[in-house]
Amino acid sequence: MNREQLKQEVERRWPGQAQCRLSAADAKCEVECARPVLAELCGRLFLEWDFSFASLVVEEGKSEWHLRYIFYGGPGAGWVHVLVTAPLAEKTVPSVVKFVHAVDWQEREVEDLFGLKFEGHPRLGDFILHDDAWQEGVEPMRHGFDAQAIMRHRKPAADWRPHRIVEEPGAFVMPVGPKYSGVTEPAHFLLETVGEDVIRATPRLFYKWRAMEKLAEGKMVDEVLLLAERFAAVTAFSHGLAFCQAVEAVCGVKLSARARTLRVFLAELERLRQHAGAIQEICESTALVVANSQAGILEEDLLRISGELTNHRYLLGLLAPGGLMCDLPDAACQKAVKQAQAVLGGLNALERSLRVSSSFLDRLEEVGYVALRNATVYGLLGPVARASGLSRDLRRAQPYLGYDHFQFDVPSEREGDGYARLRVLFAEARQSVRIMEQAVAALAPGGVREPFQPRAGCALGWVEAPRGATFHWVRLDEDGKVARYRVVTPSFANWHGFHLAVEKFAFQDFPIMLSTFDLSVAESDR
Amino acid sequence: MTTLWLELFFALCGLGIVVSLIISPSRQGTWLAWVGCLAAIALILAGATVLLGGTRLHCSLWSLPSLAATLTLRIDGLSAAFLCITGLVLFPASIYAGNQLVSQPARHDGRVFAVLLLGLYASIGLVFAAGDVVLFLLAWEVMSILCYLLIVCARERANGHAASGYLLLAMGEAGTLASALAFLLLGVGAGSLEFGAIKAGAPTLGAGIRWAVFLLSLFGFGVKAGLVPVNSWLPRAYLAAPRAFVPVLAGATLNLGLYGILRVNADLLPPTSAVPGLVVLVIGTLSALLGILYATTDNDLKLMLAHSSIENVGIIVAGFGAGMVFVATNHPALAAIAFLAGLYHLINHSLYKTLLFFGVGTVELQSGTRDMDQLGGLIKWMPLTALAFLAGTLGIAALPPFNGFVSEWLTLQTMLRSAELSSTAAKIVFALCGAGLALTAALAVTCFVKVFAMSFLGMRRLDEERQVTEPRTGTLVPMFILAALCLSFGVLPTYVIPALDPAVRPLAGGSATAELVPPFFASHPAHPELPAAFAGEFHDLGAQVGQDILPGHGLVVLHRGGKENPVVFAMSTSYTLVVLALLLVLTYVVIRLWLTRKRQLARRTRWDGGLRRLLPEMTYTATGFSNPVRVIFDAVFRPTTVEDTRETVAEHFRTAIRREKERVHLVDRLVFQPTRAAALGFARCLAAMHHGRINAYITYALLTLLIVWIVFSLVPAS
Amino acid sequence: MGIKTTAYPAKPELAAGVSPGLPVGGEYPESAIASLIERCPTGVFNERDGSIVADYRRCVHCYRCVRGVEQPVNWQQTYEWGSFPDGQHEFAQPFHRSIHILVVDAGDCGACLNEVRQLNNPYYNMHRLGFFITPTPRHADVLLVVGTVTDHMRFALKKIYDAMPTPKRVIAVGACALSGGVFAESFVCSKGVSEVMPVDVEVPGNPPPPLAILHGLLVAVGRNAPMPFDSPGKGATTLPASAPVVAGASRGLK
Repeated sequence: MNREQLKQEVERRWPGQAQCRLSAADAKCEVECARPVLAELCGRLFLEWDFSFASLVVEEGKSEWHLRYIFYGGPGAGWVHVLVTAPLAEKTVPSVVKFVHAVDWQEREVEDLFGLKFEGHPRLGDFILHDDAWQEGVEPMRHGFDAQAIMRHRKPAADWRPHRIVEEPGAFVMPVGPKYSGVTEPAHFLLETVGEDVIRATPRLFYKWRAMEKLAEGKMVDEVLLLAERFAAVTAFSHGLAFCQAVEAVCGVKLSARARTLRVFLAELERLRQHAGAIQEICESTALVVANSQAGILEEDLLRISGELTNHRYLLGLLAPGGLMCDLPDAACQKAVKQAQAVLGGLNALERSLRVSSSFLDRLEEVGYVALRNATVYGLLGPVARASGLSRDLRRAQPYLGYDHFQFDVPSEREGDGYARLRVLFAEARQSVRIMEQAVAALAPGGVREPFQPRAGCALGWVEAPRGATFHWVRLDEDGKVARYRVVTPSFANWHGFHLAVEKFAFQDFPIMLSTFDLSVAESDR
Repeated sequence: MTTLWLELFFALCGLGIVVSLIISPSRQGTWLAWVGCLAAIALILAGATVLLGGTRLHCSLWSLPSLAATLTLRIDGLSAAFLCITGLVLFPASIYAGNQLVSQPARHDGRVFAVLLLGLYASIGLVFAAGDVVLFLLAWEVMSILCYLLIVCARERANGHAASGYLLLAMGEAGTLASALAFLLLGVGAGSLEFGAIKAGAPTLGAGIRWAVFLLSLFGFGVKAGLVPVNSWLPRAYLAAPRAFVPVLAGATLNLGLYGILRVNADLLPPTSAVPGLVVLVIGTLSALLGILYATTDNDLKLMLAHSSIENVGIIVAGFGAGMVFVATNHPALAAIAFLAGLYHLINHSLYKTLLFFGVGTVELQSGTRDMDQLGGLIKWMPLTALAFLAGTLGIAALPPFNGFVSEWLTLQTMLRSAELSSTAAKIVFALCGAGLALTAALAVTCFVKVFAMSFLGMRRLDEERQVTEPRTGTLVPMFILAALCLSFGVLPTYVIPALDPAVRPLAGGSATAELVPPFFASHPAHPELPAAFAGEFHDLGAQVGQDILPGHGLVVLHRGGKENPVVFAMSTSYTLVVLALLLVLTYVVIRLWLTRKRQLARRTRWDGGLRRLLPEMTYTATGFSNPVRVIFDAVFRPTTVEDTRETVAEHFRTAIRREKERVHLVDRLVFQPTRAAALGFARCLAAMHHGRINAYITYALLTLLIVWIVFSLVPAS
Repeated sequence: MGIKTTAYPAKPELAAGVSPGLPVGGEYPESAIASLIERCPTGVFNERDGSIVADYRRCVHCYRCVRGVEQPVNWQQTYEWGSFPDGQHEFAQPFHRSIHILVVDAGDCGACLNEVRQLNNPYYNMHRLGFFITPTPRHADVLLVVGTVTDHMRFALKKIYDAMPTPKRVIAVGACALSGGVFAESFVCSKGVSEVMPVDVEVPGNPPPPLAILHGLLVAVGRNAPMPFDSPGKGATTLPASAPVVAGASRGLK
């Protein structure tokens, strides 16, 4: 379904209640929608017309709430922004979660941070602001939020109890975390069990919530770029890139060819390194020490390649709105590609050895299964979704930085288990090197930084980060300061669906399933 | 002397009943406690004078010419042992029951309870003291009916139906019928109903009658003892029985069935072939296994203890079975060890089971629930109860130096002695049963770790408002008495074995003391009979330590073998206790006075992963703890799913997962329910005849007349 | 494959890409001082007696003092960054033999944690130096904290610290753990681990490379001397100049 058809369909079904505005420049269709038909409209977009859900952006206006549901489809369909307003005093909006389950956590986040309630959502509360740490009525993202006053008078609920679903005689809740064994991020898991198998796993995240979106408000663009790079610095380049693209879209900056190619090169280098790291984690979780060491060597090699090329192992300090902060010599890039090809040889050898290691495969095959239907409904992203057969890659669906001129495959599998996810990681690593080779060959001489003049406006920046699609929505005000910064990360979407993989498995499989999902708490918590 | 004590016992019981009928309800408890204690002491003394003094009692009471029987009292070693153990159990049980009546006057009808209980005491004493079939069966019937009445009349309404008591009575009556038949067969074969005459006439009985008597008596007394497959009544009855009566039910009446089995199959009619013994062995092992499996996976404290009783009875009976095999294959020494092991385990079981039931009753009273999934952390509020309960738990889990260890160890060693049998089939059976008993022992440890930990340790799961306190002193005293007895019977086996020898010797033909307790003490008169080299080796190990202070043979339980194998097995819980105590003291001294001199001792909170608050629902439940056993033995349990629903809201939000399983006991499934279904089916067929049509009934009458006429016309006139 | 493990601390590590380096304080022209101080978003540079003093705890590696400026700051490609917090102190006694480290993430972006994870790969192999990771505070000698301490993790971090038996040492790794990093102003973040517990060793960087963390650990057990921080590059090991940190800018001003 392309945009024109969409407009006709929408205006046919809900005349007078939904109006479409097409914008050819950024392939966008804005639908202004009345509250009563919101749920049905979003449902049709998601379930029937094959759009994926990206982000729910909520802004507090002077007298109204402005909600924006962002959907995206294939190349012809483009972006659909469903806009809804509600009076500020009412503080309720109908929930669309019955039709678009992928909105679940985003609605809960909005309710916690803004106080805006979604009618029909069965489980609001105790999400970001833990009930046993904060009292009711704390709305940090509202404009009038007084942080000092709230922090001085804290009254958490004294009778917090874990949310339990299993009603079986003798069932109990096994708590894991927030500090659990290993070099791990803090996350709290409540595993409901009767002793052997995990019947239900409920993660309790946001122990690393740093209120990044609030912190960004009122800051200059280059200060917010620091935040964007550093809230999840393992994939710093991708997030910084998404932010820069959003800002460049607002300000109408056109990048030079060299800047675009170098950005592609660096993004794929980061993807290669992140995937090597994910493979290393999987080998570590299955306690296959030799594979763990070999993958560790490959990851460190890639970190050193990044460090040699750009001086920083995680590619920090390169991006700037308008291009890159400094140029990278062609010779250095070619050397980096050669080194990356050597590392890829190592990865291929590792994959060949792992394929015949039956003790390793036993722990991954048919473990942590996610069905395609569930992946679609929950809106999973990245290699996790592609392993279940849901292969929508932003580089193909909504190409940016000229990705449509590069030749590469988007690998996907059908089994949806841990081994499938591992295979997808290896395959994507191969494609990354392929793109890097093409990028280096396509490097044109020229400058890397265009002049940048901030102006008011709002836009979405999107990047296919190593872990999946990430969406950064930015609104700049007249002074060029950031008025609203909304970040949706792939880990946020994938954490939402993580419990599907864990159910009905024994405790011992839990760390392995966690590692095959390649989740980042820092990225999700922001 | 024995007669005196026995008469005193019956007199006290009678007096107790009479006075109970007169005095006011508020004083029933105290009166019951006093009379019960005194009667129990009299019983102990009656048994002790026979066991330790060596006298036997044999006197005739009345003769009943119409039944061609003389009512005789006869107390030999076996009866005396049982009288002693019953007395040991009834002593604290009376104090406990009295305290229950005093502290909970509204619940029990004190008068009825006291009268029935004292009557039960008398009938139990009479069963053990009976010397002929008629008196035995009379006392047995009275005992059965009194048990039933005690369960039904004095039950707490929350616990099950009167149907449980009725099942006890019904199955008990079936058992009594079978044992009566057995006795009658014996009597017909011997020509007299008196035990002495029966025993004399036993060798003349044919194989067919021997087998019939064996099977009938095994069935009949097995019902009372709670053997598989006739144990369906036991868990239900224990559940329904009131708190004050259950200890007596478990500690005293269970022994009656075991006495019956021993009396008929080892004393009156010793086996001449190994097969009956093997049958008893196998049934014992199966009972033990099934009992402990269900005990481990059950969460109700009382029900769990009931299944554990079945397990312990299984172990006891397995020991008896082994003894019967050894008697039949002419190994008197091994038979003595086997019977002693069984008898010792019987004593131990009575002691620690009664103690555990005291504990469970206290816990139930204080916390209001028997479900282990809802208890926890009680040790903070009931430390003394927990301590006494711990003694019982360690005993039943067979951990040294408590009493359970000694008897289980002896039983398992007996199984190993099958090496000396000649028949391969018997050896295989012994090996399999030995393995089964070992599995039982392991599961028993699991079960009772779960019981103690889930009830007393961990976090408290009860409501905060519920007041849980230590019970009255009157309830604690009997618990500590039994705990002390548990420890003593574990630490002093070398004194218990000679005391029980008079009971075992007539059955086995060999002396248990001679087989198990060599005289290491130089002061003992039998010491010179011990080979000097042998004694010398053990003196080097310290086997003579204590000879100046303590009387008796020694402190080491040791079975001697031939030349190649001088020591077959040996252990000493007495020395173990001393060593353990020394080690603990030493460790304490080293840590307190040396290791912590330069270091600080800091108390910090428990590490729980950094949680804000660890809640009780985040800790293991009893179900979770025993889940592996449930999963592994799923083929035995075969639970049926009662509910397995998933509730979803808004298409994808799982709001509830409800699962519930129900299980029916294996024996119920395979034996009890099919029997019941068959009986009901048969009755239904017969009921088809009662449809109320007058014409049909007239037809039945005519048919009957016709048949009678034909029969009479065919019978030749004479 | 050969032996991949670095020879550090016996010999300096000279491979490329092992460290992002740090800016160097020292004497700079007046105009440069003012522009550097203004340019740094986290306030690393301060002026003292006409020269620049750099507070490395605040450096978030944004490279804005070297890239895209006319007067870039000097850069040191070092990695031995472990130091004591203000107020010199030495440990009463070194930790002998091997130690067990508990790694706690109290709000880290993931990069510092990833660098800590690299310590176990064959290139660094901290086991050869006697450093082991333990899962429980009860066995831990050294607590390694990464990340600014978020509000939700504060209680857990205190609990972890209390659960560790003495003697214990705390090493705070990364700009966020030392000064709050870019999140210092957030109302749910702290300005460093020192707000919650006393810190013994600090390792700056965003993120500090594995060699720096290793140096910090060696300082924490008393095997290596800490880096004194307000002197430019003193005692630091420099790397070959091939690293193009400042492509397009000159290196050094003198």
